[in-house]
Amino acid sequence: MAAGAAEAAEAAVAVVEVGSARQFEELLRLKTKSLLVVHFWAPWAPQCVQMNDVMAELAKEHPHVSFVKLEAEAVPEVSEKYEISSVPTFLFFKNSQKVDRLDGAHAPELTKKVQRHVSSGSFPPSTNEHVKEDLNLRLKKLTHAAPCMLFMKGTPQEPRCGFSKQMVEILHKHNIQFSSFDIFSDEEVRQGLKTYSNWPTYPQLYVSGELIGGLDIIKELEASEELDTICPKAPKLEERLKVLTNKASVMLFMKGNKQEAKCGFSKQILEILNSTGVEYETFDILEDEEVRQGLKTFSNWPTYPQLYVRGDLVGGLDIVKELKDNGELLPILKGEN
Amino acid sequence: MELSADYLREKLRQDLEAEHVEVEDTTLNRCATSFRVLVVSAKFEGKPLLQRHRLVNECLAEELPHIHAFEQKTLTPEQWTRQRQE
Repeated sequence: MAAGAAEAAEAAVAVVEVGSARQFEELLRLKTKSLLVVHFWAPWAPQCVQMNDVMAELAKEHPHVSFVKLEAEAVPEVSEKYEISSVPTFLFFKNSQKVDRLDGAHAPELTKKVQRHVSSGSFPPSTNEHVKEDLNLRLKKLTHAAPCMLFMKGTPQEPRCGFSKQMVEILHKHNIQFSSFDIFSDEEVRQGLKTYSNWPTYPQLYVSGELIGGLDIIKELEASEELDTICPKAPKLEERLKVLTNKASVMLFMKGNKQEAKCGFSKQILEILNSTGVEYETFDILEDEEVRQGLKTFSNWPTYPQLYVRGDLVGGLDIVKELKDNGELLPILKGEN
Repeated sequence: MELSADYLREKLRQDLEAEHVEVEDTTLNRCATSFRVLVVSAKFEGKPLLQRHRLVNECLAEELPHIHAFEQKTLTPEQWTRQRQE
């Protein structure tokens, strides 16, 4: 019992609870030499309780890192200052400055960020220029990662601010092909890109690595009908489907993949194809609703799985079964018709 | 949306001028609405399997989106006769 109490006391010391803005400011000054991780949490949120446990474990592994939990609603001055809009949110501080941020209950990401900042802390100050060069190289790679790159809050499927949402809506309406980067996932990129491009806000849209601008500029380009000429277009769905159905000689559109079929029919057709020994590729229609719906019209076939040979629809499971029973399946798969 | 074996059987029989239709409700074997159908029709003569299945799919175009698992077998009257003799 005494040993247990000692451990509990040790754990309690490892993670400090901050109850006021003044206490938080004092802690920032006090811990200027080491990494400070702050968990903005709420007792009513189950993920926060879990993340407190994760943080307690991290505190044992990293005794030189200061871990703090701050009840977001109990200390509104701090929460508002750092724009905490949801819990859990983690902030990372060094030299009293915020250096990183993690929104959400992502234990692996939290662990990775702590490790990265701890190891990056071992750099002597004289390598600051080197670090900056590395960051610039990384930002250059990111802005060139796709012909059209959007740096936004959240993802196109789940935008996390109104401006990012509007930007995605405009790009989709114009059928623009783009990739995106969630700036909430990396505070270094979030802050670094503002300097790199001399543009203070998000979203930011890049084409061929060049900054086009933010939402207001994109709206103007849309109004002046210049947007379509500047940004790359997504290939038409029909062209995309033609490419997909010809991706391999034998192409199976199914629910799941070879390792894990997600419906009985897809599983059965996999077994039949595997028994033929013929090479084939699969496409998981559960991952792409556009393909899932588009292919039904493209091939006038309402169900899945769908099997294609050299771009032509063979049929679904029932047809494949009959072909196998009749001894016709192998010649068809080998393209001997 | 009516999804009963009797309804599907009658629709297939009429639209495809089938001389024989069997509809089995296989829902109990799965967790969502499922059917297995056998259709015998002269309309299938001279047609490859893909076209035969398309005829059935078109007949049930309104119903298929609501059926989770659909299985079918299409036979010409000659195939049906031969199969029953075996």
